[in-house]
Amino acid sequence: MSEPPRVGRGRTGFWAGLALPGVGWLCVFFLVPFYVILGVAFGTVDPIFGTPQPAWNPLDWDTQAFDFVFNSLFSSGGAFQAVFLRTLAYVAIAVVLSLAIAYPVAYYVARFGGRWKGLLLAGLIAPFFISYLMRMLAWINLLQDDGWVNDVLLWAHVLDAPRSWLDGRASSVILGMVYGYVPYMILPLYAFLDRVDRSVLEAARDLGASRFHAFRLVTLPLSVPAILAGCVIIALPMFGDYYTPDLLSGSPHTSLVGNQIDLYIRGGQQVPVGAALVVCLMLMLAVLMAYYLYVTARAERRLGR
Amino acid sequence: MSWTTARRSDLFSGLSARHPREAGSFSRRVFLERSATAALGLSAVGPLLAACGSGENGATPGATGAAADLQLARQDNPVKWPIYEDNPPIASGLEPEGGPLKIYNWNGYVWPRILKQFGKEYGVDVQLTTFSTSDEAIQKLATGAVDFDVFFPFPDRFGRLVVGKILQPLNHDYIPNLATSVWPSLQDPFYDQGSQYTVPYTIYTTGIGYRADKISTTPYDLSNPYEIYWDERNKGKTYLLDDSREAPIHMLLKNGITDINTEKPEEIDVAKSDLIALTDAVNVKVSTDDYTNIPEGKAWVHEAWSGSMISAPYYLPKGVGPEVLGYWFPEDGKGTIGNDMIAVLRSAKNPVLAHHFLNYLLDEKHGYDNFVNYVGYQPPFVSIDPDKLVTDEIVPENLKSAVVRESDFDTAYFLAELSPAGQTIWQNAWAEFKAGV
Repeated sequence: MSEPPRVGRGRTGFWAGLALPGVGWLCVFFLVPFYVILGVAFGTVDPIFGTPQPAWNPLDWDTQAFDFVFNSLFSSGGAFQAVFLRTLAYVAIAVVLSLAIAYPVAYYVARFGGRWKGLLLAGLIAPFFISYLMRMLAWINLLQDDGWVNDVLLWAHVLDAPRSWLDGRASSVILGMVYGYVPYMILPLYAFLDRVDRSVLEAARDLGASRFHAFRLVTLPLSVPAILAGCVIIALPMFGDYYTPDLLSGSPHTSLVGNQIDLYIRGGQQVPVGAALVVCLMLMLAVLMAYYLYVTARAERRLGR
Repeated sequence: MSWTTARRSDLFSGLSARHPREAGSFSRRVFLERSATAALGLSAVGPLLAACGSGENGATPGATGAAADLQLARQDNPVKWPIYEDNPPIASGLEPEGGPLKIYNWNGYVWPRILKQFGKEYGVDVQLTTFSTSDEAIQKLATGAVDFDVFFPFPDRFGRLVVGKILQPLNHDYIPNLATSVWPSLQDPFYDQGSQYTVPYTIYTTGIGYRADKISTTPYDLSNPYEIYWDERNKGKTYLLDDSREAPIHMLLKNGITDINTEKPEEIDVAKSDLIALTDAVNVKVSTDDYTNIPEGKAWVHEAWSGSMISAPYYLPKGVGPEVLGYWFPEDGKGTIGNDMIAVLRSAKNPVLAHHFLNYLLDEKHGYDNFVNYVGYQPPFVSIDPDKLVTDEIVPENLKSAVVRESDFDTAYFLAELSPAGQTIWQNAWAEFKAGV
């Protein structure tokens, strides 16, 4: 690979300056709020009102909230352990299902959409102009005992009797999550698949690969970074979700980490416990994120060679 | 197809009668907040940032050090709160200010037309700001950064508001209706002897709402009515109130523990074990939308507030009559009871006008209109004859147990304030249940 052209000192300063808005944004909307969360998590509460009193100086940090969280997180049968494991499982299943839906859709639109590409894409995205909450409320109607989902499944003889989808089932919550986030998976996959160099595929076919082999040996490996990006994009908000289980289930058996955070932050005297849960969730996501960066870096190195 | 009914409730949920204690799902405020945070993909972090604004200000007025003053009022331990020198009541004979009158209330808990009428009569602007959980309201008031005039407090956090000097003492000269309209017993309630800081607003009991057409055994058929929650025939259709106090209290009462304000960890443990057992037995769910869950048929058995049951007929699907609804409250009156209040904030810029507003809501006619046209929660007025509510068909015959009588306050257990430490024990038990262990 050729070296990038060298630029003068003054010019570098100018280009570096372009990063300023981004850096400023990160500081104001990520670092500062994150430090506030740390301050609250390690802080105390007002003895009367229970309002958080953040500890800004790390020397004053009080680990009581973290002790409480860790105690429940690392003891078998602990409440926080249960919700963390459940959240991991739900998100994993929902991400796999989203991928299973999004990949064929994106592939079809990118490869076979032809001149309808733009329209197909707009059609896929259109329902998502409506707020997430509205769409979940619509699902409540569809999933009711006498709702259309049951009507259709009974008509098709998939079910013998109406199924009570809203009776606190994991499947309904996962369905809601998949439905809610799947377009965010389709978009990056489409953007990537649309740019796959056709000549590479033609070369594969010329060398005797069947359509399927060309897909398996060329397109699929090439799209690993896009798949991972899609997974990360939808997994992050799913980990913080708390209203999908609220709306589509309401049962403690399907509550997620987000529900516990909501419970501790919106009421009572233990906001630091809620903040400590946020920090634990972020740590877990940071580990997943690090793995993502590692895998994409490796994939890029491999492609670069 | 019940699409239409559900949609109707969505449309009206921001407008109609609902119980105030809504930590619940679709109130307008929560809706907006959740859509916004969802859009940011920071759903869990948003409320936290909102919550910790207070800490940054560090302006919690008079709170620290006041913890020692916090007395826990009980029915057998009435409390007369001190009047602090630096927080005196207003003098008598002052003219009402020019407004605008700023009101801070539960979402959907006052008839908008009443506010309009008051504004017209006094020639002022009336501005309503709402909240959806009690702690959210307290956190906001505790910052000292708000200047509302009128607030609608609740007995389970009331003492904190007095010792934290958030409320100002009332001058009864401006509120003659307290003596003429309100039940004598609530003119001098145990939680605020002499009504020094509050006047009562609404009263309610917490019982069990049910669908008489769906269940074969009602709470009235059982020797221990609270056992109804364990009826496996109602699996998936059994709800408790999504409230860290109300739901465990029904478990306490089921076990014969009548001190519903207990702070004994072993008693709260009994309630917690029963809650967890309920999850396994009937996959119990939690919600504060009792007033729509029952009429829409989502719930067959639902821990419910009496005022929600009075509003419930409005949400029934077309063609279904109110006779399908039922409400159980102990016939001997030994159940959970409570009342909400109205108060003037210390931060009020229009304290005289605010006093006039309190008096306005305690007017027999205004209070009654507010109840039957909108709120669904009854004011404790001498002029309201419980039997007449039924004969006038304000309340259907089969829901007459949802009407609260003055005598209920002698027998029922009042949901009162806990110490901060006690509140934490309740919350942790509740969180453990909600984690679905």
